[in-house]
Order: sequence, then C-alpha cells, then structure tokens
Amino acid sequence: MLSYVLRRTLQAAAVLLAITAAAFGLFYAAPSDPALIACGPKCDTAQVEAVRHSMGLDQPLVAQYVDYLGGLVTGRTINDVDGTPIECGAPCLGYSYTLHQPVTEAIADHLPVTLSLAVGALAVIVVLGVGTGLVSALRRGSRTDRMLSAFTLIGASVQIYFLGYALQYLLVYSTDLFPLPGYVPLADDPGGWAAGLLLPWLVLGFVNAAVFARLSRAQLLEVMHEGYVRTARGKGLSARRAHLKYTARGAAPPLAQLLGLEAGALFGGAFITETVFGLGGVGKLAVDAVVGNDLPTVVGTVLLAALCVVVFVAVADLVVAWLDPRVRLA
Amino acid sequence: MAEVMAEVKSSGPAGPLVTAARALRRDRVGMAALGVVLLCAVLAVCAPLIAALYGKNPTEHYGQNDPDLLSPEGLPVRPNGGISADFWFGIEPGLGRDVLTQLLYGMRTSLLIALASVAVIAVIGIVLGVTAGYLSGITDRVFGFICNVLLAFPTLLLLLALSPIIQTRFVSPGENEPAWMQFAVLIAVFSAFGWVPLAMVLRTTVRSLREREFVEAARAVGAGRRHIIFRELLPNVWAPVLVHVTLAVPGIVTAEAALSFLGVGINEPIPDWGRMISRGSEVFYDDPTYMVFPGVTILVFVLAFNLLGDAVRDAIDPRTAR
Repeated sequence: MLSYVLRRTLQAAAVLLAITAAAFGLFYAAPSDPALIACGPKCDTAQVEAVRHSMGLDQPLVAQYVDYLGGLVTGRTINDVDGTPIECGAPCLGYSYTLHQPVTEAIADHLPVTLSLAVGALAVIVVLGVGTGLVSALRRGSRTDRMLSAFTLIGASVQIYFLGYALQYLLVYSTDLFPLPGYVPLADDPGGWAAGLLLPWLVLGFVNAAVFARLSRAQLLEVMHEGYVRTARGKGLSARRAHLKYTARGAAPPLAQLLGLEAGALFGGAFITETVFGLGGVGKLAVDAVVGNDLPTVVGTVLLAALCVVVFVAVADLVVAWLDPRVRLA
Repeated sequence: MAEVMAEVKSSGPAGPLVTAARALRRDRVGMAALGVVLLCAVLAVCAPLIAALYGKNPTEHYGQNDPDLLSPEGLPVRPNGGISADFWFGIEPGLGRDVLTQLLYGMRTSLLIALASVAVIAVIGIVLGVTAGYLSGITDRVFGFICNVLLAFPTLLLLLALSPIIQTRFVSPGENEPAWMQFAVLIAVFSAFGWVPLAMVLRTTVRSLREREFVEAARAVGAGRRHIIFRELLPNVWAPVLVHVTLAVPGIVTAEAALSFLGVGINEPIPDWGRMISRGSEVFYDDPTYMVFPGVTILVFVLAFNLLGDAVRDAIDPRTAR
C-alpha cells in the first residue's frame, strides 16, 4: 500500500507541475499584451513599460515561470503598477492589478462561500445519489424504479441556470417557502448560514446527484448478482448483512472515483450556481476576473480548481486501492 | 450512421451495428427521443423557411417600433411575456425581438457548434485513442499523462478564460470579430478538451481488442500495422464512438449556453439560447415568461439527446439495458 501511495502522490505532483506550466504558458504567452490589460486603457506608453517591468514581463518566459513557481513555494515581492513593492506570502499566486491585492488573499476571501456550498452539495449528492441508486437497484423494474429513473434523467438534463431561477421564483419570490438564498458566515449565525445556502445546496446537489444515482444503481445491480454475494446469501447471511458487507464494498470503487471527481469540481468553485444565486465564492471571483481581463486572478483560480481536482481524484484512487487490493498490487 | 450500416450490411452477416439498429427500433422511448432530435434538426435547417411563413425575423426590434407592445420600461405590455396571435412565444423585453424566431435561429447556433465540435472530437479521439491503445509502451504513457493533465483542468473556467484570449489574439482591438471567428473559437476550444474521454475509452477498447484472436490471426498471416489498425480495429470501435458522440452533443450545447450565460460566447446579434437565458435572468421577476422558453427548449433538447444516447448504448450493449 505504501508504495502505491508514493507512486500515486508522485504522479499527482507531476500532473500539477504540468498544469502550472500549461496554465502559465496559455495565459501569459497567448494574449497580445498582459501589461496593457493590467494597466488599463488610460495608460501611456511609458506607464505600460513601467508596468511591464514591474510585472517582470520583460524577462524571458522561462525566468517568469521560475519566479512564479518560486513565489508559490516561498512567496515573493511584487511591484504594483506605480512601483510600490508588495509582499506576497507563500503560496503566492501573483498580484491582481484589478483588485489591488494578492490573488491568494482574494481567493482566501472568497473561499468560505465555496467551501460551504461544496460541503452541503456533496452531502446532498451522496444521500440523494446513493439513496435513489439503492432503492431503484433493490426494486429493479418496479414502478418506483421507473419513477426514480425519470427523476435522475431530469436531473441529468436540467440546467442550473434554468432550475435555479425557476425555483427561486416559485419557492422564494412567489411563495416564501424557502429563505432567500445568500451567504452568512457560519461562525456568525449557523442557522442563517444553513438557511441561505439551503436552496443552492439542493439545486447543485440534485443536478450532480443524477449521474451519481445512475452509476450507483448500475454498480449495485452488477455486484448484487456476483457469485460471492450469492454465496454469502446461500450460506444463510441476511440480505441486509450480505449487501452491507459484500455488495457495498464491491460497488464502492467506481462511486468513490466519481465522487472524487465531483468533489474536486465543486471545491474549485461552482461558477454557474454562484452566479445564479448571487453568492460571492471563488467561482464568482473567477468569472469576474475573466470578464474584467484580470489574468493573475484567472490563472490563480484555474490552478486552485485544478489542484482540487488532482487532490480529490488522488484521494479517491487511494480509497479505491484500500478497498480493492487488485488495484494497489497491479 | 446509415452509411456505416450499409457498409456493414454489404460485408456479410448482420454486423453489430445492424443488430443494434434493430434493437433501437424496438425501444419505444429511444425512438421517441430520436423523433424529437430529428424534429430539432429539421426545425434548425428550415428556420428561415418557418420564419418567412410566420412573417418575422430574429433581428428586427418589433417592440421598439410599436408602442403597443413594450411599456416605457421595456417590458411587454400584454401578460405572459407578450404572447399574442402575432408573437406566439412573446417578445423579448428591452429590444422587443420575436422570441420564437430567436429560439429557432438559436437552435442553429447550438447545433452548428455542437455538431462541428463533435466531428472534430470524433476524429481526434479516434486517431489518438486507437494509436495509444495499439502502440502501448512509451506512447501510451505520454498519452495517459496528457489526458490526466487535461482532465484536471476546470473545463468550464478554461473555456470561459480562453475564448476571449483567443479572440483578442486574432482580432485587433476595436474591431468587431466576424461571426465565423466566434464559431471557430468555440469549436476549437470545445474540441481541444472534448476528445479526452473518448480517446480514453477507445484506448481501453483497443487494448483488449488487440489481444483477440482475429487480430492475432491477421498478424499471423502477415498483415501490416496499417491493415490491422484500419481494417481490423477501427470497424470494432464504431459502437463506443457512436454512444460517446450522441451524449457529447447535449454536453456541448449546454456548455455553450453556459458560456453565453456567463457573458462569454456568441455575441449579438447572432441568436443564442444562453444569451437569452442571461437576458431573462436580468428581468426574471418582472417577466418570467421570457426565460421559460429558452429554459424549457434546452431542457427538452438535452433530455431527448440523453435519452437517445442511453437508447443507443442499450442497443449496442444489451448488458446495460434497463
């Protein structure tokens, strides 16, 4: 197991390094002039030159990349547009000339919203996804199964930017059945925190649970009819114990992998959900940065999102290896 | 699909695609979904004809020319978003355009981008996936690594960030970018990331096919690598390609709509579903009807494609059948 953990960690680190290089190359090398964008349309040539110098854009690209990586590990000092040095502590993701603060700080400001949204949505995904999957697998072909299938199919097809608004209109605006969506810090008011995020959790969870439910139904059905589960039943184990002990373990690996992927995507920022419900999380920060041409923030949020995916997928792989010895010994 | 099937048919006993087509024909839900999908295609192709018969076009600001249609605040005067005998689906708040023709032409935008991207994705995915699966070794390692990197990227955010960057690279500031460029950028970005899942599936498929007897037999009688890839392996990967492609179309349509919803994507005046949703969200509490039409249209469209994709999958692989 230890060697597998090491191998998987190294692989994740290599992927992350490649992602920093790709993101850096794409965003700093591709557009015509980041200095001009950072400086704004009112800058004259001399000012643009000064910004270019302070951003280090007159350095060779490789040197810039090494600087950026160094900043990620140890932090670095960056010059503002007017030349004032700014201390950017590790992990430094650069300095946003639009927000006038280091990108890491900006992300840290928005992270609580994204974390709160992701944790609740994940809970909904697991409960709703595994629940519907389990019920429809146990009652395959029944009317319940068909209804749940239709339900998950709608979840897989409906779009958050439609469902979110429609539910806000029906459940909040017209009938007051749900509290107004919004974000209150958990530490200030736990009740308000949960109330404000309830509808976003349900919508984000429902839409993402659909895929999960379909996979868990298929997995459970497949494993339930495996020889070893039948043997366990045949030897007199009750259905509940056989399913808990054998079916669950056999069906879990692909579900863990899908959950890892979904968790990674959620913790990196739910762009559409945050926009629809007016929540100021990392996703909103990223969308605003894209619209406002704020490249350092865009790269920072892209890297954060990639980090989340890589880490959660790696964790899911480790869980799978722990559940299934064939994986770690391969 | 018809071409492929004809080819398979002429080459001997019923091939897997013929069997699958028969199974699909027995699947009532699948056939209904196919009907909706074909209807969408017909509507998109015939949009100018329908618009001419209906007597409206998607760009004219009807509401602004006629004070009876829009209030001074830009909201439709009649209830339910201004639905009337003249404007079957109502009129757009603000600009006062006809919703029905906007939806029809928006379908052209969506379908054009999705079908073009899917075609590129299929080509890249087949070439890379089959090559990596057949060659294995170092090629396969490099392939796997690149796939892992691309999969870890937050696709939507990257699409969001890349589209304007590519556009500024090719269009000088202040200039309006031509329509074909907007389409090309979106198709390029969707293709650049969309091939990964398909190629990964095909790699696994080819890996197991490679060890099968018929490939071994071909190799034993002295077939070259070219013959084995094109004549032995490729005909066997059409099934996963077909399933993947059917399910990729709604994915791209919704991703494109999401981009436009978030403010990047196709610009005015080209009709676009995502932009209609975005406009609808601005006036949602005053005129909810306007958003219902594009929202429901996307839902029906995606639902039909998802159902068709499931039906195709079930038809090809009976083990997954409901």
